[in-house]
Amino acid sequence: MTPPSPSRASSSRVAITRAGLAEGARTMIPLMPGLAVFGMAFGAAAAQKGFSLLEASLSSALVFAGLAQMVALEGWSAYWTPGALLALALLTFTVNMRHFLMSAAMRPWLGQLPGWQAYLSLLLMADNNWAASMRYRTNGGSDAGFFIGSGLVTWLVWVVSTAAGQVIGGGLPDPKRFAIDLVVPAFFVAMLVPNWKGRRQAVSWGVAAVVSVAASYLVPGWWFIVIGAMAGAIAGGYADDKR
Amino acid sequence: MTSVDPQTLLAILVMAAATMFNRASGFFLMRLVPLTPRVHKILDCLPGAVLVAIVAPTAVHGDLAMAAGLLAAFVVTRLTRSDFFAVLAAVAVAAGWRAFGS
Repeated sequence: MTPPSPSRASSSRVAITRAGLAEGARTMIPLMPGLAVFGMAFGAAAAQKGFSLLEASLSSALVFAGLAQMVALEGWSAYWTPGALLALALLTFTVNMRHFLMSAAMRPWLGQLPGWQAYLSLLLMADNNWAASMRYRTNGGSDAGFFIGSGLVTWLVWVVSTAAGQVIGGGLPDPKRFAIDLVVPAFFVAMLVPNWKGRRQAVSWGVAAVVSVAASYLVPGWWFIVIGAMAGAIAGGYADDKR
Repeated sequence: MTSVDPQTLLAILVMAAATMFNRASGFFLMRLVPLTPRVHKILDCLPGAVLVAIVAPTAVHGDLAMAAGLLAAFVVTRLTRSDFFAVLAAVAVAAGWRAFGS
């Protein structure tokens, strides 16, 4: 169980240390080959859409959201009308709606940092390092350096592999053949297992699974993640009322 | 190679703004929500629920190799508590399934 929310007076408990940065960075290393293949796939796809090396690298460095970048490439054009830009913004926003929930879950932890540190750190939030940081937090860790270190490594590998993919271009093998599409969901499974604590998780995960699968058939786009996750979290939050 | 088309740059900046908004807005909004014990319980469940809401539809919509690989990841995590070996096992099982399975 997590202790009750600390008061403002105890805000000095969350620090950013060099050891935390290093531990976070180290934790992500096993995932980096898989991420690099994704990054190279994006770089190669971007090259085919006419992105220069600098443009592809800028996209990965500034957007830093692989799924949204891949999806946006599908409808990429050489000329952007205001309407097309608005659609692009909405597409990016909905594909990454889960980041809204993920950052909400960071509030009890990063909320104890000065605001500018918290918001700068959140710019580095991606699926993998968020999941690893949440496991670290569940295991009692409180060093925000873990989150930042894991994010920096992920960002660096993402940008460098994008650039490499843009240069190599179409010579890359089919990622699906080598089951690279398994890397992220399998990592999520590995992050889930230690989170199991009993009845509350049974309720929360069961509801999240059923609602997200149902929503994936009923609702277009990526809303199923947000809908399923919110349903699961709320169900889990109320699960202990009946004893 | 190092050319940047202004139109492309504009579109990239629009995407960057949208993802930054996503990353900051949930954190910001939770500042306005009092962290009662109930809200804390919901936030505690949120990470697991997000992961399940991504993995479950991925497993349902994916091929059999995907399902077998995720099952392997689960088993290996239980046995070794290592995310590295879990991912390795999942990739090996799924790649093997796609190469030799039907």
